[in-house]
Amino acid sequence: MRRNDALSWLIDALSSLRLTLVCLILLMVLIVACTLAQVQLGTHLAVERYIRALLVWWSPEGSALRVPVFPGGGLVGGILLINLMFAQFRRLELSWRKGGLWIVHIGLALLFIGEFATALFQVESNMAIEEGQTKSYSEDYRRMELAVVDDTDKEFDDERGIPDSLLKSRREISDASLPFQLVVHAYHDNAALTRSRPGSPPSIVTAGVGGGMSFEPLPPAAGDNDQNTAVAVVEPVLKNGTSLGVFLLSNGLGAPQGFIHEGRSWKLALRLRHYQHPFSLTLKDFRHDLYPGTDIPKNFSSLVRLKDPRAGDDRDVLIYMNSPLRHDGLTFYQASFGKNDTLSILQVVRNPSWTLPYLSCALVGLGLLWHFALMLRKSLRERST
Amino acid sequence: MKTSRLQATVFLGALALAAWPGAVPAPKSDIDYEIFARLPILEGGRVKPLDSFARSALLSIRGKQSVPVDGRALSATRWLLDATFKPETADTYPAFVIDDPEVLGLLGLASGKSRYFAYWQIEPKREEVSKQAASADQQSSGRRSRFQDALLNLNNRLTLYERIKNTFMISGQGDPALELAAFTSLLPRALSAFHSNNPTDKDRRAMKALAEMLQRYQFLAQAGAFKALPPKAGAPADAWSNTGEALSNPMSGRDPHPGLASFARMGRAYRAADAAAFNAALAEHAAWIARNRPDAARAAFAEALFNKSSPFVSGMALYLTALLLIFAAWATRRADVAAAGRALAWAAFAVHTLGLLARTVLQGRPPVTNLYSSAVFVGWASAILGLVSERFHKRGFAVAGACAIGFTTLLIAHHLSASGDTLEMMRAVLDSNFWLATHVVAITIGYSSTYLAGMLGIAWVVRRHLLLKPDPETSKALASLAYGVIAFSLLFSFVGTVLGGIWADQSWGRFWGWDPKENGALLIVLWNALILHARWGGYVRERGIMLMTIFGNIIVSLSWFGVNMLGIGLHSYGFMDKAFLWLSAFCALQLALMCLGALPPRFWTEARRP
Repeated sequence: MRRNDALSWLIDALSSLRLTLVCLILLMVLIVACTLAQVQLGTHLAVERYIRALLVWWSPEGSALRVPVFPGGGLVGGILLINLMFAQFRRLELSWRKGGLWIVHIGLALLFIGEFATALFQVESNMAIEEGQTKSYSEDYRRMELAVVDDTDKEFDDERGIPDSLLKSRREISDASLPFQLVVHAYHDNAALTRSRPGSPPSIVTAGVGGGMSFEPLPPAAGDNDQNTAVAVVEPVLKNGTSLGVFLLSNGLGAPQGFIHEGRSWKLALRLRHYQHPFSLTLKDFRHDLYPGTDIPKNFSSLVRLKDPRAGDDRDVLIYMNSPLRHDGLTFYQASFGKNDTLSILQVVRNPSWTLPYLSCALVGLGLLWHFALMLRKSLRERST
Repeated sequence: MKTSRLQATVFLGALALAAWPGAVPAPKSDIDYEIFARLPILEGGRVKPLDSFARSALLSIRGKQSVPVDGRALSATRWLLDATFKPETADTYPAFVIDDPEVLGLLGLASGKSRYFAYWQIEPKREEVSKQAASADQQSSGRRSRFQDALLNLNNRLTLYERIKNTFMISGQGDPALELAAFTSLLPRALSAFHSNNPTDKDRRAMKALAEMLQRYQFLAQAGAFKALPPKAGAPADAWSNTGEALSNPMSGRDPHPGLASFARMGRAYRAADAAAFNAALAEHAAWIARNRPDAARAAFAEALFNKSSPFVSGMALYLTALLLIFAAWATRRADVAAAGRALAWAAFAVHTLGLLARTVLQGRPPVTNLYSSAVFVGWASAILGLVSERFHKRGFAVAGACAIGFTTLLIAHHLSASGDTLEMMRAVLDSNFWLATHVVAITIGYSSTYLAGMLGIAWVVRRHLLLKPDPETSKALASLAYGVIAFSLLFSFVGTVLGGIWADQSWGRFWGWDPKENGALLIVLWNALILHARWGGYVRERGIMLMTIFGNIIVSLSWFGVNMLGIGLHSYGFMDKAFLWLSAFCALQLALMCLGALPPRFWTEARRP
């Protein structure tokens, strides 16, 4: 009996309207806090800290202590979703009169699920193509990878990308297809890279261009447009323990670094993560139209050739504002441009849940209309009697 | 008089009053300013009448649409005429508003009686202003000091004024017709000299003189503030040019643009105060445009008429009068005054509607395209909602709310128009009539209805404290009206917000990015949902709902204007600076009203006087 009491208390609590109200208020507070924080932190970091988190942490100035001070958006949203479902089935009877509310709440649940799915599954990258160039990969905005490239063959580069999460968590990385292991001596998301001055501590770097460089770890860049300069100190080691040199790699260093082992040429680079696609895009023409006599942009558009051997696609596509290309679960948007209007930057998004908001909007709109129309009719009837 | 006849009279009388400024002929004058004001030009990427440019330029330079000269208000068009043809005179007009004490200090000007200064007073320090502005421009906009912002702002206005002065002729050049004659007579000789194999000294002098002239015209082509010469028939419709461009065009020798001569003659006549010659040249040019570019002439004519009739100013006055009448009706309990107030409110709404429609037609876009038009539309939607709600509960509250919001939003719009062309072209990402018509309109209707509910809340609180006799029935009616409006508001703000997300998904690849504007919209949705749920659960009753609707005013205002001031705070200059103070004052007032409403019943007049 006791257990049943506790259970029914929990179910009551989870389906209570009071919980809904508390969650709505907490959500509003979080949104205000997140909006204000964006001034200092930039959108990405503020959202990570307040919305896409289970708890909001606070650390006193200059201390490593982290104290949870507020439930985060993930927690509040999750509770609200559970609350919505429990309340739906416990309290709302299934009737024509309440039909509108049912539809509204189902629509809302879909919206919430969509936002959670987006947070979990959405992958954003971008593809910068120059006119005449063909590309079959896009690059991440923030996440880095260690690229290990066998470029012995002049025609074809054999590439492997080791994600930054592995560089951070593992000391040694091996891959069956590589004749060597990689020992990670250091990895920093962001650092200030400088030329070593006389008197700098001796560097452990023995190969490549990084010998004369030193670096100072920094906190990750805050602004939405600021790029991190990641740094990795990596040592390829043969199975027998022979070192092939210690390299300092960074996306801030332009020069290619590498070594030759058993007649094969290997290159190492720390770069923004690449996503390979089984199709290619060729930029045929980029247009940037202005209103006459001004520099107000009227239109940006990229004419691309889409080639996908699997689907048998070989066609021209015009990507422009408010009209993206959707192909193979990816969406390509006109995002930016450069190099005197000969370079087009497309944003590439994989979001399996992109249709949910459309469905949700239609459901909630209809449901609210239904419900309020019924209420209006009732109120008019009461007045006329 | 019967009420219906009274109402009809008030309604029609108010409309006639509002139509007056558009219909009345301009005061008799020697120079035909009206035709000049209607000339089409290309500026800001669109064809508009000179009048629109003159108004928005003067508004951004001076903050007003006229300049006082010798005790009379000079219209924007006349100011523009002076600035383009008689710059040495225009330089003495007090056309620059400068508030910042540090900027005044830099200019060596005293912030005495007037905040308005003439160009000649600033000119000695012009170089210094440019230099300081260039260094301020290095800072990103959030990090600038108040002084730097004010200085950049002044520099922009000075540059705009200087460009205007160099539109038809180089400022201070003298008689433009002489210059044009010299150029056209020089051109054939210089060109033939250019092609001759053994040029004489005379040829060389001609070529040198031509090179110097062309250099000046290239400067003019760069500097000109707008393009007044329409493309000739057969040329592409976008190919407008300014005086400098038309003169330095290689075709100008054989087939000069006829507008060049017209404007040169206008300039000479204007400088010589020869009204007849000016009007003749003007009429010739206007006739040429009507023949060659009838569409541009028509569009400019319509817009100039719209500017002149200024429906939103009349609307504002009518809303205010209607509001005062309704207050009078409450005080005197006279049904005829209330009826007149309602009729006047409908008249104000009709004028507002006509203005909105005219703008929509002129721009060829849905009604809301920028902050200015959002203010006009929020007022319009609140007004129609209030006027319709009044039909459910005929106590004047909904109409009063409609008038108060209509008046305030038109006033805000009036101040917002100082930031530039209100019919500006849409940037590429916004260039989508479908989304402007759905998402933006739904969101703004959400704002309107939330405000209307808030006004009802305020009416509820104020009544409680002013009313002599308790009248719980009216209070209840107000609350149920507010509830209906909130439900309406939730529908529109939710659908509007999600449509915004879908638009973002279409154009930026993300449905929701938690950016400030999106968050603001979401807060309105959440707040309205919160009110409905709290009422449904019985956690709030009549008073609670009404106080919550007042808080809705704060939320809408913050998400409408507050997010535009994020990170700007007190560091801004101009309208947004003042707007920040007004916004804070508005929010404080709402909080005060909520406290007033939250006082226990023994403080209410209604309860004290049984």
